[in-house]
Amino acid sequence: MANSVAEQAAGPGEVSSSKGGARLRLPVTRGWRLTDAPAAWLLITPVIVLFGISVVYPLFDTIRISFFDIKGLAPAKWVGLGNYVTLFGDATFRNTLLTTLIFTVGTTVISVSLGWALAMLCAFAPAQTTPFRGMMFVTFGISEAVSGYMWLNILRPDKAGLLNAVIGIFVPGYAHSWLGDPNTALWALIFVASWSGVGLPLMLCFAAVQSIPRTVLEAAYMDGAKPFSIMRHIMMPLSLPGVRVAVFINLLGALRAFDIIYVMTGGGPVRATETVGYFMYRESMTQFKLGYGAAATVVLLVAVLVISIPAIIQRTAGAK
Amino acid sequence: MFNRTMRRRTVLAGAMFAALASASPMVLAQGLSGELVILQWQTGTDGQMWKEVEAKFTELNPGVTIREFPPAGTQGDARGGIRTAVLGGEVVDIIINTWPAFRAELVNSGILRPVDDQWKSFGWDSKLSQAWRDLGSIDGTTYGVTYTYGDRSAIWYKTSQLEKAGITPPATWDEFLASFDKLKAAGYPAPVVIPAKYWAHTEWFETLLLRTAGVDFAAELAAHKVPWTDPKVKVALMKYAEMLKAGCCAEPATMLAIEQPYPTLYTSEDSSYLLFGMWTNSALKNDLGLKEGVDYSIFQFPSLGAGFDDTASVDAKELNLTTNGANPAAADAFADFIIGADAANIMAKYGYASPSTAADNSLLGSVQQIATAAVAKAKVQFVLGDLLPGDLVDEYRVQLQKFLQDPSEATVDTVLAAIEAKAATAY
Repeated sequence: MANSVAEQAAGPGEVSSSKGGARLRLPVTRGWRLTDAPAAWLLITPVIVLFGISVVYPLFDTIRISFFDIKGLAPAKWVGLGNYVTLFGDATFRNTLLTTLIFTVGTTVISVSLGWALAMLCAFAPAQTTPFRGMMFVTFGISEAVSGYMWLNILRPDKAGLLNAVIGIFVPGYAHSWLGDPNTALWALIFVASWSGVGLPLMLCFAAVQSIPRTVLEAAYMDGAKPFSIMRHIMMPLSLPGVRVAVFINLLGALRAFDIIYVMTGGGPVRATETVGYFMYRESMTQFKLGYGAAATVVLLVAVLVISIPAIIQRTAGAK
Repeated sequence: MFNRTMRRRTVLAGAMFAALASASPMVLAQGLSGELVILQWQTGTDGQMWKEVEAKFTELNPGVTIREFPPAGTQGDARGGIRTAVLGGEVVDIIINTWPAFRAELVNSGILRPVDDQWKSFGWDSKLSQAWRDLGSIDGTTYGVTYTYGDRSAIWYKTSQLEKAGITPPATWDEFLASFDKLKAAGYPAPVVIPAKYWAHTEWFETLLLRTAGVDFAAELAAHKVPWTDPKVKVALMKYAEMLKAGCCAEPATMLAIEQPYPTLYTSEDSSYLLFGMWTNSALKNDLGLKEGVDYSIFQFPSLGAGFDDTASVDAKELNLTTNGANPAAADAFADFIIGADAANIMAKYGYASPSTAADNSLLGSVQQIATAAVAKAKVQFVLGDLLPGDLVDEYRVQLQKFLQDPSEATVDTVLAAIEAKAATAY
């Protein structure tokens, strides 16, 4: 009779008899075994198929489309790298690259710094700050479109806007169009996106701080270190792995930002908040220049990969 | 005997068939059946109106069922969703369209069938004038059956505000500019609301262009037969600048943040005048519950005295019939129905005008009657933004946003040069 999958996976002698009362030892991987194949394929095939349909095929098709000139319903024309050449010669696209850079760096710096700082403070009273941390994390769970509509009202250009009303307490009659002024629109968006994104860095950094061995902190106390010194010299350096993950996740999220821009500014005013993600949407879906939009998508994909690959390599190396 | 009877029956049957075949399509429409698929992208009150129109059609043609196909992502501009649906292989009989440039795109892709034969057989000449037929035509072939239109040169106002300011609707440009101070004194700090977040700021320029350069020039500009740097275009923008400098509006940043004008205009007390589409009528009546002609009204764009005061900008919606629709007979009958009295009466109830002579204009509200009368005696030109290629219209709107920020002569030159540069590659 064939051995069980667990026995096969573990190899001879790896699984002790339950009658013997011995502890179940973890199987040791010793390379590919022919007898594992059917079960393994059975388990991973659905994932591969789904991944292929929803990720790999659209990805390669987008790359393929980026080599064609497709305008509206007109037949596609092969243009090779023409769309890419046009793209980098397009002043509007170059402007979106800069806007994307400012938006990405801005939201990442603000949300991670704030999340990290709050995590440090919460670490001094973990139990008492649980409701606060919970509330902060909720913002991360709110859809960007929903928070965008909420902030649209807060940032209304008239005196009825909450922000203007609050400022109006100190400066009577104050009214500023935060989203209509090209000088403030992008920063308003960065602030809103950071507000939405601060919950995750807070939780990641807090978890990193919590994983610092108590003995290290106790030793510091015993040596007479003050809370600020403990935070600066122990908690902050030892929570850096959490910060790195938070930076990585925030960077990717900010690079791909679309919903909040679509809802709040539509890329305006005067294209002041048009990121690559929004440019891609405008070209593809409103202008219906699918090839050109696909080329912008590929550029964005490359930017995401440039950030992701070193981070993944680093994480993988860390795991080993 | 048998042969003779058979021959007689054959002749009779043939005669009956010939009589049926020569009967009017209206008679044949009685026997319509099957599913009629309409690519319908209107939502809210307009969508509700359309449901009522469809229900009336199916009541008159009980053998027909109507299925609406709503394209994805219709918020704002439905063209992307329509293109996706068509490219995705969706088979529809009718497409509702409001963009002439998009109609050309559909025709070039072989999606639309001409309706010249139907025009003749249904006798649409008796319902729609040649001008409406021309509006739905490309190079002499008719593809669109216009079923509603709107006056885009009508300025909306709230009656109580003008009364409070002690003014009547201004008839001339100078009176219009002079009314700003009176409205401000009456407590309305920004007499004109310009929702400039996306496109509505171009409305003022478009009517000013018609009033300073005429419909023929505007048509040539739309086709890029004249450049955007033409002095006549600059004159129109400078008139726009005159209005901005006369203190018509809120700060540019406020205009650039406004997308939806109705709450701003009708629930706040800041502004009085709005230049927007005739769907405003439906929104104010049906969504905000205001009384047409009592709470709000319109006046036609004030005269400039430049020789083109008999012009107006219009928009329209039309039906396009597809080449691959599964039920062309029902589609033809629906196109006939939409310009008939039944459909026109339903649209009138919602505040929309029909170009059909079958429509009873006395059913229209007072505001819509003002607009209808104004368009009837005007030389009209379709909304410029809807005639421009997609690439160009985007640049045109953004450049006019820049103009709003600084309406100086230098900016006007820069803005027009930028639009012209885009136009050079967009056609």
